[in-house]
Amino acid sequence: MRLTVDGTEHELDVEPDMPLLWLLRDELGLHGPKYGCGIAACGACTVHLDGLAVRACQITAEEVEGAEVTTIEGLGTPDAPHPVQQAWIEEQVAQCGYCQSGQIMQAASLLALNPAPTDAEIDAAMSGNLCRCASYPRIRAAIRRAIQSEGA
Amino acid sequence: MASFGKIARRTFLIGSAAVAGGVAFGVYAYRKPVENPLLAELEPGETTLNPFVLIDADGVTLITPRGDVGQGAISIQTYLLAEELDVDPQTVRTSFGPASGAYYNGKVAAEGMPFAAWDAGFLSTQARKAAGPAGKFIGLHITGGSTTVPDMYDRLRAAGASARETLKLAAANRFTLTPEDLKTEGGQVLLPNGDAIPYADLAAEAAALDPVSVEPRAPESWTWLGKPARRTDIVAKSTGTFRYGGDLVLDDMIHATVVTNPAMGGGVVSHDDSAARAMRGILDILPITDGFAVLADNDWRAMKAARAIDVDWGTPEGRLASSAEMWEAHAAAFTEENRDSRFADDGDVEAAPGNLVTAEYRVPFLHHAPLEPANATVRYRPERTEVWTATQVPIFVRDAVAAITGQEAEAVTVHNLASGGSFGHRLDYLWVQQAAEIAVQVPGRPVRLTLSREQDMTHGFLRPMAIARGRGTVENGTVRSLDLSIAAHSVTESQIGRAGLPAAGPDIAIVAAAWDAPYAIPDRRVTGYRVPAGVAVSSWRSVGASHNGFFFETFLDELIAEAGADPVEERLRLIHDPASRNVLATVADMASWTGPLGDGTGRGVAFTYAFGVPCAQIIEVSDTGRGIRLDKLWIAADVGRVLDPVNLESQLTGGALFGLGHAIHSEITFEDHTIQQRNYHEYEGMRLWQTPEVEVRALETLPTIRGAGEPGLPPAAPALANAIFAATGTRLREMPFARTVTFA
Amino acid sequence: MRSTLALLALTFALPAAAQGFDPIAEVLLHPRCANCHVGDDGIPLWSTDAGGTRPHGFHVQGGESRMGIETVPCSACHTERNGTLPGSAPGAEGWALPPVEMQWAARTPAQICEQLKDPERNGGRTIAEVADHVSHDPLVLWGWDPGPGREPAPGTPEETVAAILAWADAGAPCP
Repeated sequence: MRLTVDGTEHELDVEPDMPLLWLLRDELGLHGPKYGCGIAACGACTVHLDGLAVRACQITAEEVEGAEVTTIEGLGTPDAPHPVQQAWIEEQVAQCGYCQSGQIMQAASLLALNPAPTDAEIDAAMSGNLCRCASYPRIRAAIRRAIQSEGA
Repeated sequence: MASFGKIARRTFLIGSAAVAGGVAFGVYAYRKPVENPLLAELEPGETTLNPFVLIDADGVTLITPRGDVGQGAISIQTYLLAEELDVDPQTVRTSFGPASGAYYNGKVAAEGMPFAAWDAGFLSTQARKAAGPAGKFIGLHITGGSTTVPDMYDRLRAAGASARETLKLAAANRFTLTPEDLKTEGGQVLLPNGDAIPYADLAAEAAALDPVSVEPRAPESWTWLGKPARRTDIVAKSTGTFRYGGDLVLDDMIHATVVTNPAMGGGVVSHDDSAARAMRGILDILPITDGFAVLADNDWRAMKAARAIDVDWGTPEGRLASSAEMWEAHAAAFTEENRDSRFADDGDVEAAPGNLVTAEYRVPFLHHAPLEPANATVRYRPERTEVWTATQVPIFVRDAVAAITGQEAEAVTVHNLASGGSFGHRLDYLWVQQAAEIAVQVPGRPVRLTLSREQDMTHGFLRPMAIARGRGTVENGTVRSLDLSIAAHSVTESQIGRAGLPAAGPDIAIVAAAWDAPYAIPDRRVTGYRVPAGVAVSSWRSVGASHNGFFFETFLDELIAEAGADPVEERLRLIHDPASRNVLATVADMASWTGPLGDGTGRGVAFTYAFGVPCAQIIEVSDTGRGIRLDKLWIAADVGRVLDPVNLESQLTGGALFGLGHAIHSEITFEDHTIQQRNYHEYEGMRLWQTPEVEVRALETLPTIRGAGEPGLPPAAPALANAIFAATGTRLREMPFARTVTFA
Repeated sequence: MRSTLALLALTFALPAAAQGFDPIAEVLLHPRCANCHVGDDGIPLWSTDAGGTRPHGFHVQGGESRMGIETVPCSACHTERNGTLPGSAPGAEGWALPPVEMQWAARTPAQICEQLKDPERNGGRTIAEVADHVSHDPLVLWGWDPGPGREPAPGTPEETVAAILAWADAGAPCP
């Protein structure tokens, strides 16, 4: 199968039912997306599939044939962070940090589709992403900061 | 620097001169080479000035021995050292260092003494001083109990200061100057003529000198500490480039997972793994204690094959099988025979006058369930075994692995890693033992074991279930007596037992934050009952205070309501400790507490003194018609001194929200010896949409600096229960609250 | 119309199909069906171990589109096939909530019966087309193949189609 990840095309020979998450992590060595639950209950594996945030643990290899996938490391880099990543840095959101790849990918997708979400829209978009450290107040603050910086 | 695989792991105790005074006060002299575990196998060109500072040609590496479970331990330890050593905290390299008694925790043992943290009397002070070195003598290299900052505050600043002054002395000697002529900045010694000498150039000469002892700098002159600091890991954690144990890739590495008896310890009767063996990518299926390991070339393939092994599991003996039976055993444990402690017994609760109030409370087992599933990588070689894992107890891990490989402890190297959460989970290390069991069967090849979420969840070491019975009286509008009896398994007995050590005496965890609550209630008694050992239990964020804060503060609230008094005013009247009263008054001020709100809204207050920190919280809820909504949470706490206000706020807030999420949603239950909750869909926690607005104020009046990872948790659940009572008239006496009321 | 019915009756010829609405209601009100046939709040339901229901976790909302809100469509988690682990996201082609006029939650069998006959509230279908829908729509068929850990809807799709046709033949009486 073929797919494009973070701008690079790959050709792979994997089982059709291998979830995208392990295809990325164990076949391509891209460790930004995390394994937390494997059942779409935590959001740590969130990536963008053709621009939309999805749970990589549920989408299988056969379903991403020919697709464009963006991981947290394709969104931005330490030297050139995406505005949402920059907001996460400024607000010092992360504690253990394990969920934050997914949180950031979800937030980036939210803001791409809705550049000025209300608090209720933020709640609705972000509640599939579990943070056991409960960094939620700072996640809210970072999204609001990203809205400001985008609008500025 | 050398990878720590090349540094011998010595079990010797550090000489008394090396860290004398390190428990309580700053300056300690580092003298003999054998005292520093970094010296054991230095690479050519590497130098170490003390156990916390390693220097090679490329510069400085700071040793931050306390594990980082998300609480920011790497960052704060780096700042404590960098503040004195004058290196850039954002770019300096750090390492957790080897498992070594040199990194003993001098605070954990002190806080286990039966003296209240607010008690500054002679006996309690002496006892704490005596207990501090106990951690040193048993070489307790442990992260926990909110001790990282209290334990490391003086030690790391002293180490940084000593290293700095010794480097300056080396430069002074070389250039025939005096240290007073020199300055330090950015990892360099600055000469009066403007030349800058990198520490790396001076390290060898400095190491030959007697280390200089010097007082750490005064807080007024701090560059980084005491103000918002950028966590050193924040960029990596915001860009997906931070690497956890499950991301580790080594040459020739095998991916593994395990499947063990869901009834822990029940063993295997028979099994058929032929289907699993035939699956793509499966290298082997090996027996391990209580189950099987699947070796593969990919985690998902390993987990898929693990589910395909057909096993007839055995049944464990000598333990109760179901939650119902366990509740019965707890309810029956309030007997003289099971009495574990009665540290508080003022006045005469039996004869106290007034209107009698009684209530019973229950909290269930809970799992830590950190988001990063437990994992460990082990490479066994006959001459040396290497372990990569995130642990709070590196020495226990080293010794446990050595017991499996049959090697001396010195032949086992533990590379500690930062973890994706813990909350106490990584005080255990069953998965490291499992990885070692696999590794010895494939010598030379690194085995990276990752548990499936289901395996991790159903093989948890749990926060104990507990029952409390309250009996108290009120008269003349005040609380007259309070008698609280608490029955639970002993966390200390269970946890220390797993490390093969005996735990003698009463377990203070059973009554923590209840017996020592600083209220001058005339007749007051707190009794702990130890329920005979059953399932494995564990320290869960704030340990015993996680249930006792709820028991004590909710029952006190019932008494205050019966007395017809105001929940804040009556607490303020009863609290005898000034710092505690200050904290409660502060939170009341933050919330503009005015008593009942009405109109389907309610506020609850709770106060606890846990891990040395008085913490008060007020929660406001409203009844939306579709359920209770948490609108606002106010937190006030006194931590003595704030080193990083941003992280402090995150820790207090995170503790409170962690407590609220579990109080509302979570329980672990047993049927047939088996945990029923397999994944997060059956173990819901706090989510963004239910998170209230949070406001935090930190006070700095205590004489001692304190840690904040745990103290934010205990008052959260009782504040919520009391708020729901204020809003609806419903008393919540059992967790999870969602069983009794609906939440919006 | 009659011919279509006859054809379907032949296709799903099963013995002694009941003529009343009860066996159909038993299927429609089963959690595998009713949990998604929710009202205008658009919040899908989850079944609990205790036998009740609760709102879908994660604050999930079907939104006006009934396919999820724009930033979190159902397809963020629900693919075209069931997840293989207990608790994993179930899936079928076109995963979404049914239109709000097809709400069954909090309604009686009698109300649902009337609804099922009303083209305004059954997707503009004749009863035969309703039966056909049951036999072909991937999302409806999912109710009998709901993935691990979920109890399937009672009986089989074929039995339900037969029951609907028998009920129609009997004049589609409502309780």
